[in-house]
Amino acid sequence: MNSLIKLEITRALRNRKFLFFSVIYPSALFLLIAGSADSTTEVDGTGLTLPTFFMVSMASFGALTAVLMGNSERIAKERESGWVRQLRLTTLPGRGYVFAKTASAAVISLPSIVIVFVVAAAVKDVRLDTWQWFALTGVIWAGSLVFAALGVAIGYLASGDAVRPITMIVYFGLSMLGGLWMPTTTFPDWLQNIAKWLPTHAYAALGQAIELGNAPHTKDIAILAVSFALFAGGAAWLYRKDTLKA
Amino acid sequence: MDDMTTTAATTTTSVVRFESVTKSYGNVRAVDGLTLELHPGETVALLGPNGAGKSTTLDLLLGLKNADSGTVRVFGTGPREAIVAGRVGAMLQSGGLMDEVTVGELVKLACDLHPKPYRAGDVLARAGITQIADRKVNKLSGGQAQRVRFALATAGDSDLIVLDEPTTGMDVSARQAFWATMREQADQGRTVLFATHYLEEADAIADRVLVLHRGRLLADGTAAEIKAKAGARRVAFDLEGTIDEAPLRALPFLTSIDVSGQTVRIQSSDADATVHALYGLGVYPRNLEVAGLGLEQAFVAITAAEEATLTAAEEATRTPAEEATRTAAEEATSK
Repeated sequence: MNSLIKLEITRALRNRKFLFFSVIYPSALFLLIAGSADSTTEVDGTGLTLPTFFMVSMASFGALTAVLMGNSERIAKERESGWVRQLRLTTLPGRGYVFAKTASAAVISLPSIVIVFVVAAAVKDVRLDTWQWFALTGVIWAGSLVFAALGVAIGYLASGDAVRPITMIVYFGLSMLGGLWMPTTTFPDWLQNIAKWLPTHAYAALGQAIELGNAPHTKDIAILAVSFALFAGGAAWLYRKDTLKA
Repeated sequence: MDDMTTTAATTTTSVVRFESVTKSYGNVRAVDGLTLELHPGETVALLGPNGAGKSTTLDLLLGLKNADSGTVRVFGTGPREAIVAGRVGAMLQSGGLMDEVTVGELVKLACDLHPKPYRAGDVLARAGITQIADRKVNKLSGGQAQRVRFALATAGDSDLIVLDEPTTGMDVSARQAFWATMREQADQGRTVLFATHYLEEADAIADRVLVLHRGRLLADGTAAEIKAKAGARRVAFDLEGTIDEAPLRALPFLTSIDVSGQTVRIQSSDADATVHALYGLGVYPRNLEVAGLGLEQAFVAITAAEEATLTAAEEATRTPAEEATRTAAEEATSK
């Protein structure tokens, strides 16, 4: 399985388009949104300055992009091409394929998180304690597993032409409504009530709590845990269904 | 004691064993009560038209699909166990390749995943793809991709090699080179099973030919036996005036006859005797042609003959409800 993971990583690092969108794009978006903001204005109801707030949002967004896109489209495409069938004729256990995909996506998501932090610190003078930097990296990286599982589920749910639009709707929907692009406090009340239950909102909230020097809220951790269970369970079910059909 | 020895010997000498295996998709029976056995060292062609159930049979053999009923054993175990033990190498018609990686990297992966791997360099050389080892997989021609699939199937020391339509997309010379490579594999004592509808391939390469039609085994023998079974030569000629079919039908060694317009086409198991008797009828055949029957025509003839027998037998036993289901299923298949 290690050789498959290695090859998946090599291949992901070779794909410039994928690298651009998951590694460079979040930092560029950060500069675009937070670039002109001063470092003292706080985002309503968060206690965080605009650059600090968007640093976590964009790091989360970058990790989300890498794992969701990396898994869903590739799995759907490789199911269709028959590569997944070919792999079933090897000693590789069935879950090994999904595991290798997720591991390679995680390798890409780490630099995308770190680069946003470096840009935020260098350009917008975001300053945090050492433990906060490490905790943020760890939490955002680990939290991205939830969306990796979602990517796997979509990859086994949709195929062909359908997978891209479905991925895009889920991706933009979760990013926007979860407040990764703009604070949810700017939403009307009814939308805020929906947004606060989304896994992406809980995901960004983990990082924001750490930036304020707090432990993440239990409610956010619970939302993420439940989402992970749902996505991973759905992915496992769809995977088994696909295996019987193929 | 003797009994036990016999049982053990039977188990070890059977490479693949299908017993009354059935697999349906909805109303369509893709594999219908298939029983067959492959022995070590055989090169076996699985021959049949599209939709005969070849790919489904191979999928069942490889554990990619589960049978509705019956048992599939590979080296005495389930298909998945045989694959995990590294005893089976397979090349699927529908087997995709990982793209954005090079041919060399992909072959290396297949070697790493095999329990009894060969060196990647040797696998590349044997498949004749050393020169394209640095090429990206998604930039290959159809024939090159087939060679890469072959390399994946032969990445380790497997005892059984399964190939589904392996030469699809290859030109004639590539096809010959491919079969030369394949013969080397067989000469090392491996069992080789390949599905094909290139009938000359079955004729030229296989020790044994299994003819599959509508998920059933129609014939099992050497290519020569199958040709003999269908009638060996074709005789065609024109007659003037009104053709009286009755004496023609009574010709010796005739296996089938077709009269259209002034042209008569006959299949005969002894063309010399048939033609001799034809002149004895007092007719003057023009444009007389006598030609050998390739395996393709032989195959069509067997299929048609069996079909007629089966249909007659089934119609005698079938209830009207079954008839309706069957017709619907056939319509579904033909679409």
